[in-house]
Amino acid sequence: MPQEITIKVGFGNQFRELTVRIQDDDVKPWQPSDRLHLIGQSYPRVDAVAKVTGTARYAYDQQPEGMIYGKILRSSHANSDIVSIDTKKASQMPGVKAVLTVPDVFEDQTARYAGAEIAAVAATTEAQAEAALRAIEVEYDIKPHSVTVEDSLKEDAPQVGRGSQKNVVRTSPRMGRRGGGNADSRLARQEAEVKKLIDEADASIEAEFRTEVQTHAPLETHGGVCTWEDGRLIFWASSQATFGFRNEMTSGWSRVKAKDCQVLAEFVGGGFGSKFSAGREGVLGALLSKEAGVPVHMMLDRSGEQLSAGNRPDSIQQMKMGVNKDGQIVGTRIRSWGTPGAGTGGAGAHNDAIYNIGETDKIEYGVRTNTGGARAHRAPGWPQGAFALEQMMDMAAEEIGMDRVEFRKKNDDHPIRSVEYDIAKQRIGWDKVGSSTDKTKRTGVGIASNLWFSAGGGGASALVRISKDGQVEVRNGAQDIGTGTRTVMGMVVAEELGLDLEQVTTRIGNTDDPKGPASGGSTTIGTITPAARLAAHHAKRQLLEIVAERKGWNASELDLKDQEVHQVGKGSTNLNFKDACALMDDDAIEVLKGRPRRNYEGFCDTNAGVQAATVEIDEETGEVKVKKVVAVADAGKIINPLTSESQVRGGVIQGVSFALFERRIMDRQKGRMLNDDLENYKILGAADCPVIDVVLLDVFNGKSNTQVMGLGEPPIVATAAAVANAVSDALGVRIYDLPITPKKVLEAIARRDAARGADSESKPKQKGERL
Amino acid sequence: MEDQPLDSAEKEGVSRRLFLQGAGAAAAAAGISRIPGEVLAEEARSREITELGPEAEKITLKVNGSDKSAAAPPSTTLLDFLRNDLGVTGPKRVCDRGSCGACTVLLDGRVVDSCSMLAVDAVGKEVTTVEGIGTPDNLSQLQKAFIEKDALQCGFCTPGMVVACTAILNENPKPTRDQIRDGLCGNLCRCGTYQNIVEAVESVSRTGGK
Repeated sequence: MPQEITIKVGFGNQFRELTVRIQDDDVKPWQPSDRLHLIGQSYPRVDAVAKVTGTARYAYDQQPEGMIYGKILRSSHANSDIVSIDTKKASQMPGVKAVLTVPDVFEDQTARYAGAEIAAVAATTEAQAEAALRAIEVEYDIKPHSVTVEDSLKEDAPQVGRGSQKNVVRTSPRMGRRGGGNADSRLARQEAEVKKLIDEADASIEAEFRTEVQTHAPLETHGGVCTWEDGRLIFWASSQATFGFRNEMTSGWSRVKAKDCQVLAEFVGGGFGSKFSAGREGVLGALLSKEAGVPVHMMLDRSGEQLSAGNRPDSIQQMKMGVNKDGQIVGTRIRSWGTPGAGTGGAGAHNDAIYNIGETDKIEYGVRTNTGGARAHRAPGWPQGAFALEQMMDMAAEEIGMDRVEFRKKNDDHPIRSVEYDIAKQRIGWDKVGSSTDKTKRTGVGIASNLWFSAGGGGASALVRISKDGQVEVRNGAQDIGTGTRTVMGMVVAEELGLDLEQVTTRIGNTDDPKGPASGGSTTIGTITPAARLAAHHAKRQLLEIVAERKGWNASELDLKDQEVHQVGKGSTNLNFKDACALMDDDAIEVLKGRPRRNYEGFCDTNAGVQAATVEIDEETGEVKVKKVVAVADAGKIINPLTSESQVRGGVIQGVSFALFERRIMDRQKGRMLNDDLENYKILGAADCPVIDVVLLDVFNGKSNTQVMGLGEPPIVATAAAVANAVSDALGVRIYDLPITPKKVLEAIARRDAARGADSESKPKQKGERL
Repeated sequence: MEDQPLDSAEKEGVSRRLFLQGAGAAAAAAGISRIPGEVLAEEARSREITELGPEAEKITLKVNGSDKSAAAPPSTTLLDFLRNDLGVTGPKRVCDRGSCGACTVLLDGRVVDSCSMLAVDAVGKEVTTVEGIGTPDNLSQLQKAFIEKDALQCGFCTPGMVVACTAILNENPKPTRDQIRDGLCGNLCRCGTYQNIVEAVESVSRTGGK
């Protein structure tokens, strides 16, 4: 039977009462009037000591007895089929213990990008493994290739796929059986309707935007260390989905088919969406270890990481928007193209969300190219979509002569974001961003928004153990990829038990422990913490039952606070936590609880967020400096402001990096990635880092007993868009392509000055036109 | 190329000649080399240059205050020797070519990328890795500041960052914000901890510790 309870939901000065049904054994969500002793205060990470002393052991650092090294041979051709592989010489090389080929293991004869896996070797030393790779002889059937969207779109383009696979596939909208006629005819009707709306609007604007492929570049590469014990695979993995990896190793596509598997990932050197699958490197590592009979260390080198371990697809986004003078957007037409590599899915851009953009006619195309495949990348599709949409918003506001922020508010009904605009404006000094004192430098300010959906869901259990000696432990087998999940899990349990954080031991990253989610969709914290709190709550009740029985008290009047047993309304009983635990007959109380599968009715299903950025641009060199970013963020209840702020700063920094630097450079002739490293693939460094001012809103959303939402992805959505709008504000001319390099800035200035020259000859200025 | 660079390199006794000597036979056969291998070998002997490898040799390094030995080919980088042969896994291999700083160690107190030098070139010098900066039971002031300021997320760049920041403070106990940022230019972080790291260094600088 579900319980019916009344709770307060909302934030700031906007609270309301709500009667909701919650699972019968669940605890009431924390209320604004609750006096919480550690939730909402900043705590350093529980694993920080291990990380600053080098004692944290990542997958890369595992060195089980007898370990040897695995290496992967990759194709240097952009598009080929493997005719034959001769591994005889390689297998006789010094130190070589096992050799596998991709056609044998994966039954795949194709190598559709330069960097595709061909074969793998395990040898006693890395140098021996590398020497053996060089001795493998491969005969390729080399085919013509295409590594850019433009080339793949050409009529006489080489076929990237095999069989009847087309280079270009319409990936959205996926029209179901709604309405009459086939999908094409329905899309044609939609196109005509939206065209009419835009044509009849007071004004319309139109532009084409482009973003580049961004690699995840986690500092710890993909892979892991594998060993077998009595038919059981032990896999220290660099993983953001420990249980997903286990499933891959025991079933499914991987062909490892271990009878049993333990995945261990206590420390993970970043993931950002690229480590949901063990990948071919994981499978090859496991199988090499099986064949060699010893542990195998199989971590990608940096080149392999950049070529084959995923990326954020590029985008070409054509947008046309109709807007009325009162600021209402009436209709938007969108066509976009992007390449996820040799496949076609996952290259969409979320340029139709966040605001109400009227009736929408949107079609997306996935374009096959002979490049490394895309993987989910921190808010997949969102930063590139926001880059286009938010510039359209600025252009539309300018076109009808409306303030940029007022125009956004007019087309936005998010209850939290409506407050966040003004906080962002005030903190950045919106009206005070003046001109630079330096004649050659110009300053500008821009704004953009986030949207996310990270309240979490079912799929996690937590085990809380209170020992007779007063030790407390919480276990969940999921991973912490740097987000702070582990610390927050400990804080939730310590809060429930009235303890200090140091008194709670946290165990994570081990699939022998209770199930946890993949770190995806920023849902980890919202999924794990309600289970942890629930398990802690029931462990506490069991302990208090024992105390009540021994002391002759009424259990329902007891609670744990300040490390003591309290009686409701009477305060401390002077029985401290440790002495209470000593009253147990058994060694420990252990409670395993699963999270309620569904979220409750609450205040708001989504997180919002607004960011404002200021830039300073040197008009002589074209260099753009992002000076400051104000990031207003919300994520339900904020458990740990310290680590929450870090998440936001991290998102902003990757966003600035995406805006100014990052770009996969392909050689169209050779079909190879030219910057498969970290010196020519530029990511933001300390000297490029803006001042980041994080404002966190604490929202009681009522969705679960902790009301937490994740914060990994939302902050990266707006940043590049806010920077681009600030650049336009500074220069008086818009840049439509990422990254915003000095070359593009100088070209834009030249276009601007040429147009101004034309203006002075009394030609009318075409607003919104691409100069 | 002008003669000058080669001459100055030889004066410094770098291993260019040894390299040429090793490559000598093959190169001579291919008609490339103008310098007979024997002449080079004689010169090497007269200069008391030790020839090593290509087989594994016993290498002894002073790491974090104590001598540690292992057998490794002389072509082994300092980073690989530390990690694979000595089991010192604090320094990380990330880019393996000196562009990210995750492998940063101190060599006689100076910052080096351990992936981009040979272990044998560190013989006779003090190698300090993150493990030598402070331990869980005895953290340095800087390590404490990293923890308090949350100057780490995934933590994979952190060992290199801690060593680089230690060197910044060793060189200048009162660095400006720009000096700290300049000092970090060899170290990449993908999670985005730069601002927190700068704040950590500043907090140590304010209190005068290390």
